[in-house]
Amino acid sequence: MSDFDSLFRKYHHRLLLYTRKFIDNESDALDIVQNVFVAVWENKKFRDEDERVQAYLFSSIRNSCLNYLKHQKIVRKFEQDIMLEIKEMEVMHYQSGERSLIETENIRQISEAIESLSEIYRQVIVLSRFEGLKNQEIAEQLGIPVRTVETRIFRALSLLKEKISQKSFFILLYLSGLKK
Amino acid sequence: MKENDSIENLISRFLNGDCTPQEASELKRWIESSPDNRKEFTVLKDIWDFSLSKPDRSNDQLAQFYKKQLEKSNRQRRLWIRSSAAVAAVLVVGLIISILIPRTESSVAGNEQVFSVPLGSKSKVLLADGTEVNLNSGSELRYAGNFSSKNRVVQLSGEGFFKVKSDKENPFVVQTSDFNVQVTGTEFNVYTYSENKVATATLAEGTIHLEIKGSGQTFEIKPGEKFELDRTNRKYVLEQADIESETAWKDGQFIFRNIPFPELVQRLERWYDVKLDYSGTELQNFKFTGRFKNQETIWQVLDALKLTSPIDYRKTTFREFTLIYKPLKQN
Repeated sequence: MSDFDSLFRKYHHRLLLYTRKFIDNESDALDIVQNVFVAVWENKKFRDEDERVQAYLFSSIRNSCLNYLKHQKIVRKFEQDIMLEIKEMEVMHYQSGERSLIETENIRQISEAIESLSEIYRQVIVLSRFEGLKNQEIAEQLGIPVRTVETRIFRALSLLKEKISQKSFFILLYLSGLKK
Repeated sequence: MKENDSIENLISRFLNGDCTPQEASELKRWIESSPDNRKEFTVLKDIWDFSLSKPDRSNDQLAQFYKKQLEKSNRQRRLWIRSSAAVAAVLVVGLIISILIPRTESSVAGNEQVFSVPLGSKSKVLLADGTEVNLNSGSELRYAGNFSSKNRVVQLSGEGFFKVKSDKENPFVVQTSDFNVQVTGTEFNVYTYSENKVATATLAEGTIHLEIKGSGQTFEIKPGEKFELDRTNRKYVLEQADIESETAWKDGQFIFRNIPFPELVQRLERWYDVKLDYSGTELQNFKFTGRFKNQETIWQVLDALKLTSPIDYRKTTFREFTLIYKPLKQN
């Protein structure tokens, strides 16, 4: 297997997930990821050391997404501007040096964290993120008010945030312990 | 209702509901009202995005990537051929001019001229003395800047078919790493890839004198004969050759009669600029007979191999295949 293939397999899923943060349309997101790999292929970037390639990949995705959003704004004129503006703000947030969990954490970690949630929170995450149901549909399926679904989703996300940052914290402690 | 409550719902609705434009702009105002709010929102949304469960599509996306790259490289190759035709045209004009301008005898050897043919391509060169050279994939032809109809010396690595302009006074010399070929006006093929075990010279018309480097042994080769030198033990054979199959490549055809499999693989690799892997003694000893047109794609050639010989193939990555020995079913 060539260096390029292993690089592609290692990062494609993550990069697609990252692109989808900013772009709803899946086929446009796939195109953006493909184009970033074309640049990697043409510049022979895959021969660089891993850390630099990773930084290059994520920043290329951000730039492409920002261009895409700017173009969308022109295409859509006034309609639904706010959504695009919020996404644009998000891209800039990451351009200023903030790192996404998608970039830094192990993907398995999120599923472990979801598994460890209590049933009522796990349920809403599974239905929304795995089954793709909207809040209204979840409310109907579970026979609870939409507002309750919304609150549970918010709580579930806050709990996941705590679980993951705790885990990262312990990993950091462990690593700094190793260094000594 | 507490204010905090409503922002929780608003964020959930934004992420996974039917958020109205009014609600979205309300959310946006909240996000922009403080750096803490912005941080809170982006972190929660990040968790949300991170938790999306999607099957990993990298394998089929990788295949698609290579498909696109291949289409692109085919387009580029066509461009390359077109631009090489333009270069050849310029060259011909240049040659005519250089022939017209009388040269002084004292002219020193200027810059060396080099013609390199990339893998997967072929090329034809017209030299200043009127000699035509077909160059096969991965070959290189060099000659000194003072090459002329009076000084006809070239160096070759790879494979070339020469149609030498007849001139009894001024012999044409092809130098290779193993032997030199001297002719006055003939058609012959020289096969001298550095990675091959043997180097050969095959004569179609006329006569050639061949001198093995180092030993000084000379041979006279007659039409239809092939001189083959084993590079490892310096043994040579002079035998009757099949001129058609030896020189078919220059006309865009590949004709093989009992070619050892490893050599077939090497040739296909050069012609198509691909990598073919194989293992096992069955293939090592297998001899192939068949004919392809160069216009066929590597896929068509491999399919033809698969149908006519005990060989199967599998694509491993971009421009790489593995060949497998698979005995044909006896009916």
